[in-house]
Amino acid sequence: MSIMEYNGGSVIAMVGKNCVAIASDLRLGVQSLGIASNFQKIFPVTDRIFVGLPGLATDVTTLHEQFRYRVNMYTIKEEREIEPETFAALVSSTLYERRFGPYFIEPVIAGMQRTPSGSYKPFIAATDLIGCLNFAKDFVVAGTASDKLFGVAEGLWEEDLGPEDLFETISQTMLNAVDRDTNSGWGVVVHLLTKDKVITRTLKGRMD
Amino acid sequence: MDISFALTGKGYVIVAADTTAAHSIIKVKLDEDKIKTLSPHLLMAYTGEPGDTVQFAEYIERNIRLYQIRNIYALRPPSAASWIRRSLADSLRSRKPYSVNLLLGGYDTSTHTPHLYWIDYLGTLASVPFAAHGYGSYFALSLLDRYHDPEASLEEGLATLRRCIDEVSKRLIVSPGKYKVKVVDKDGVRELDF
Amino acid sequence: MASAGGGAYSYSLTVFSPSGKLVQIEHALAAVSQGTTSLGIKASNGIVIATEKKSSSILMDDSMIEKVAVVCPNIGLVYSGMGPDFRLLVTKARKSAQAYWKIHGEYPPTKVLTQEIATIMQEATQSGGVRPYGVSLLVAGWDITRGPSLYQVDPSGSFWAWKASAIGKNMVNAKTFLEKRYNDDISLEDAIHTALLTLKEGFEGQMTEKTIEIGIITVPSLEELEAGKVEGTGRYKPTFRKLSEEEIRDYLAL
Repeated sequence: MSIMEYNGGSVIAMVGKNCVAIASDLRLGVQSLGIASNFQKIFPVTDRIFVGLPGLATDVTTLHEQFRYRVNMYTIKEEREIEPETFAALVSSTLYERRFGPYFIEPVIAGMQRTPSGSYKPFIAATDLIGCLNFAKDFVVAGTASDKLFGVAEGLWEEDLGPEDLFETISQTMLNAVDRDTNSGWGVVVHLLTKDKVITRTLKGRMD
Repeated sequence: MDISFALTGKGYVIVAADTTAAHSIIKVKLDEDKIKTLSPHLLMAYTGEPGDTVQFAEYIERNIRLYQIRNIYALRPPSAASWIRRSLADSLRSRKPYSVNLLLGGYDTSTHTPHLYWIDYLGTLASVPFAAHGYGSYFALSLLDRYHDPEASLEEGLATLRRCIDEVSKRLIVSPGKYKVKVVDKDGVRELDF
Repeated sequence: MASAGGGAYSYSLTVFSPSGKLVQIEHALAAVSQGTTSLGIKASNGIVIATEKKSSSILMDDSMIEKVAVVCPNIGLVYSGMGPDFRLLVTKARKSAQAYWKIHGEYPPTKVLTQEIATIMQEATQSGGVRPYGVSLLVAGWDITRGPSLYQVDPSGSFWAWKASAIGKNMVNAKTFLEKRYNDDISLEDAIHTALLTLKEGFEGQMTEKTIEIGIITVPSLEELEAGKVEGTGRYKPTFRKLSEEEIRDYLAL
């Protein structure tokens, strides 16, 4: 039994044309026993950053609180909102701080990064449980269904998907991947980010 | 081996726990109260490692009381749950963690809503309509999936709890004999004859 | 007890006098105003910080003296007052900048680093067993949110942003001079010349590339910013740098 798989749960993030999307399941379990079908694993960081925290459920809450604390301190000290790239560095260093007694979480970050000219470009990243960053151009996955998510995403994802198409792609990827995983599922939540808007939709999935 | 259940209904939370205190295969006490009243509108059922349970529950009880003395008002259920969770999460990464599982039922007197939280010894916190700990969860959760109604009256809620307890008595080898049942609603906490 | 100068309040820890003054801090400021003059000017496209460096003997190798210091690629410092105290603050500022980099993956904005230095200096006015730092600093930096900014930090730990400022021995005259010369759309090249002219006022002895130090902030162009990290180095182009002796000689010749 792996600690990473004790509670179950999966997260995926995808890049589109001038948009990004991040999705997760809603299950909380204790191995094969389901406990809750409303357990959020994705949290807003700023108006244009989301972080997904799949892994051990106690650490989902602890890390969420830790990141909220650090981002609030950053916002007050610097008198500005944190950018996705900087937040990714913050996530990485927070996890590496616990290198020899880690939090059992593999974070996924999705956001719209402000460029020097004032426009926005999509940004996604993921790390392992000790904070090794992986910046990807297409999509990142994590959690108990990560292998399945990789497979489906590899098949469905295309370059330059618009917001509506990206939503459809990430939704279908998530729904179909978690159906093949015993420890993920029980509903899906999708967040779609553009430069000035966030759309959040909860999807019904198989409840078995 | 201990078992606890809890479920929400229209304006109330029912919390139930068995009353056996066991040493190995011996029942040493049959009327142990495993549900603490933390504040006028907050109940906590605790199960787990004997010794740890009482120590931890009393620590929580005294600190929740201290907060109320200092601030006049008691912590509302979501804040109490968050604080209790943090205590367990910090304990988990200490030299000797508490192994205590909790069900926290409360009634928020300012929003007039019942709250139920499932908390385990790792510090996992989930807000749920119904919950169980111990071997009882394998029987009760599926029953509650079928019969739970968030709009049920207290009588209907107790009938659903009865189904759970009966099922455990019927199917579980080491089923306990007696349960203590408490309810929290707008009028506060009270124990029910069950 | 002690009777010289400020009377019973001049020694021991930093303590309030009945009139509400912290005499130790005033003494620290006195130490600063005995130091060599330094100045900073914010231009429309950059910042210049400059100072005179005086060696007490012609036998001294003045190329070893460093009064303008690089803290990190986007921030530089200059001081008036006590050299050893400055060296300590530079070390602490550099460490702070690297600690920030380790957490955020980028160097601190000027204001954040200035605040950090100011905190270190303030702590010396309230802790036991230490004396306040005998320096005033000029911090010049560039960051993406605030652009170029110039700060002054005093021994008390208070700090302000300036368009142009001077500290040290000749600060009153220098500031009056800068007030006359300054305008909001001065270019960096003009600012460097104004800096040299201001230093020249009240300069003792010959002003050469050996007896002054200059540091500049250059504001990166939008193209440079969009291009991001420089190919090969994997780093952003530094925005703060010290002028070489050759460069200073060229400016002096003009």
